Amino acid sequence: MFLVIAWRNIWRNSRRSSVLISAVAAGVFSFLGLTAYMGGFSLQWIDASIRLQGGHVLITSQGYYANPIVRNAISDSRVVEHAIADVPGATSMARLQVAGILNSAVQASAVQITGVNPEQERRNSPIPNSLTDGLYIEDPGDGVVMGAVLAEKLQARLGERVVLMINNLNNELASVAVRVAGLYESSSRAMDERVVFLHRQDVQALVGFNDHEVSTVSVFLEREKDVENVAAGLRATLADPSLEVLSWRDRLPMIVSMESMLGLISVLIVVILFAAIGFTLINSFLMVIYERMRELGIMMANGVAPSQIRRLIWLEAGFMVFLGVVLGTALAAGLIAWWSQTGLDLSAFSEGLRSFGADTVVYPRLEGTSVLAGYATVLVMITLAVAWPAWKASRFRVVDALQHT
Amino acid sequence: MLNSESSPLVHAEQVEKVYAQAGHMPVRALDDITLRVEPGEFTAVAGPSGSGKTTLLNLIGGLDQPTAGRVTVAGQDLGDLSRSALAAFRLNNLGFIFQAFNLIPVLTAEENAEFILLLQGISKAERRNRVEQELEELGITSDMMRRRPAKLSGGQQQRVAIARALVARPKLILADEPTGNLDSTSGGRLLDKMRDLNERTGITFLFSTHDPMIIERAKRLVTLRDGRIISDDFR
Repeated sequence: MFLVIAWRNIWRNSRRSSVLISAVAAGVFSFLGLTAYMGGFSLQWIDASIRLQGGHVLITSQGYYANPIVRNAISDSRVVEHAIADVPGATSMARLQVAGILNSAVQASAVQITGVNPEQERRNSPIPNSLTDGLYIEDPGDGVVMGAVLAEKLQARLGERVVLMINNLNNELASVAVRVAGLYESSSRAMDERVVFLHRQDVQALVGFNDHEVSTVSVFLEREKDVENVAAGLRATLADPSLEVLSWRDRLPMIVSMESMLGLISVLIVVILFAAIGFTLINSFLMVIYERMRELGIMMANGVAPSQIRRLIWLEAGFMVFLGVVLGTALAAGLIAWWSQTGLDLSAFSEGLRSFGADTVVYPRLEGTSVLAGYATVLVMITLAVAWPAWKASRFRVVDALQHT
Repeated sequence: MLNSESSPLVHAEQVEKVYAQAGHMPVRALDDITLRVEPGEFTAVAGPSGSGKTTLLNLIGGLDQPTAGRVTVAGQDLGDLSRSALAAFRLNNLGFIFQAFNLIPVLTAEENAEFILLLQGISKAERRNRVEQELEELGITSDMMRRRPAKLSGGQQQRVAIARALVARPKLILADEPTGNLDSTSGGRLLDKMRDLNERTGITFLFSTHDPMIIERAKRLVTLRDGRIISDDFR
């Protein structure tokens, strides 16, 4: 009967109830939309950062990550790649990285020369798909692929020759003249300005390395959540003290911090959003209990216990919030489903996003745990917001309530 | 019917009620009232406005607390009960009929009558049975039973209120000016009905009123003035 009374009470002032239900729906819609956007953005940004910056797990020689000098290399990449091949869902990518100078006819710039295996890069790195002009490297001698912004800075055009200079293993100056094969534009402007790609054999020849000497072997996984297990597994499998196995969380503390910060921002927005709805609920229910004070008095006179009065108020709030949650969820689900197909194009803010290392098209993504956390927040919010009006109603003196007009 | 040796259904002992409001002189609504009501009585508490009759009924009904003295109903000192225990006591022992009918507007007539039975935990079949029986006896047709209070006349609403009080099989029905909002014909009929119920079932009725129709039908008339009992006549 309390369910019946609570349900019918909602529709006694349908305008007020509709406003309240709409407020809850708007809150839930905003929460889900925001969470999905932040979830998608965070996931894409982290994935892009991982792919640009060495993969989910990075294997180097001991100390290379702290002191990335060329002689600090992995002596035989085949051992490492063989171990990675045994990890389900994992792919590898071996690179040789060396600091150098890139000279055009006009200007010079400090760069990081990255020797790559094109086949592995196509499988794992976003760079082959980020070309704005020219072609990606296929074979040794194909030339250099550089950031479009670097090419502009050096006034180096596609097909023109540029000279790469490094200190080789003997600490002698070594140089090679190559053609500009392609220009890329990644999601990181800092990378575009500094990192150039050559075939790995070209760089190995320049440095004086054999075919299997590399700086890093990156591991790419299908599921990010497997990172720590895979890293631990590879440490055990390789069992080589001269090698260091680092997960992306070990290497990229800034991304870890940003991930936490994005999460914190989402939580703050959700708290502010639901606090605003909570105050609306408090206000509405204070009005409700004073409007119905006489009725509550009748109920109490007839033997309804204070706890049952509180339950009645909670039920009424619960119904309205439930309707709001269902409506908000349905609207958000529709929008998120559409967005996740088309992506949310933020190219108007592309410069800002690129400097942040993020894609300009975000595909919203909603995790079940986030949704449950949101609904739990709603539940806590109703409980807190309605607690005071409900308690107040249950404390009315029956005789005063009956005389209320 | 009255037996001073038996335990009374209601026993108010030296009851006082003073309303004190900041900035105002305290108002003594009841002053040293002692009253015994035996089971089966059909008693009217009469008196002019402000004499304290509604206050006395409120205290007996556990809707308010006395400033001094104590009120015992069915052997239970109401002052010893918490809010929840008092609610349970009212649920199981008392029925209320108010001047303004005081039905729950979102419930139909039959739901209003059924509400208390539901709180008492009575089975569905038993609830249906009692509600239909009481409402029919009071002349509420099955069509009226499904209407909400706003769609019933004043007399019909008051009959539903009486049915609500009766279905719970209370020991005592407290009726505060029950005919105050009814025309004399409807009021007279309802009073006859209540008197009949009192005689058939032995339910005790205690009225607060200045309606001559009630005074005329009461078997006992307690008259209050300025918060004191000035007469107590058994008929």
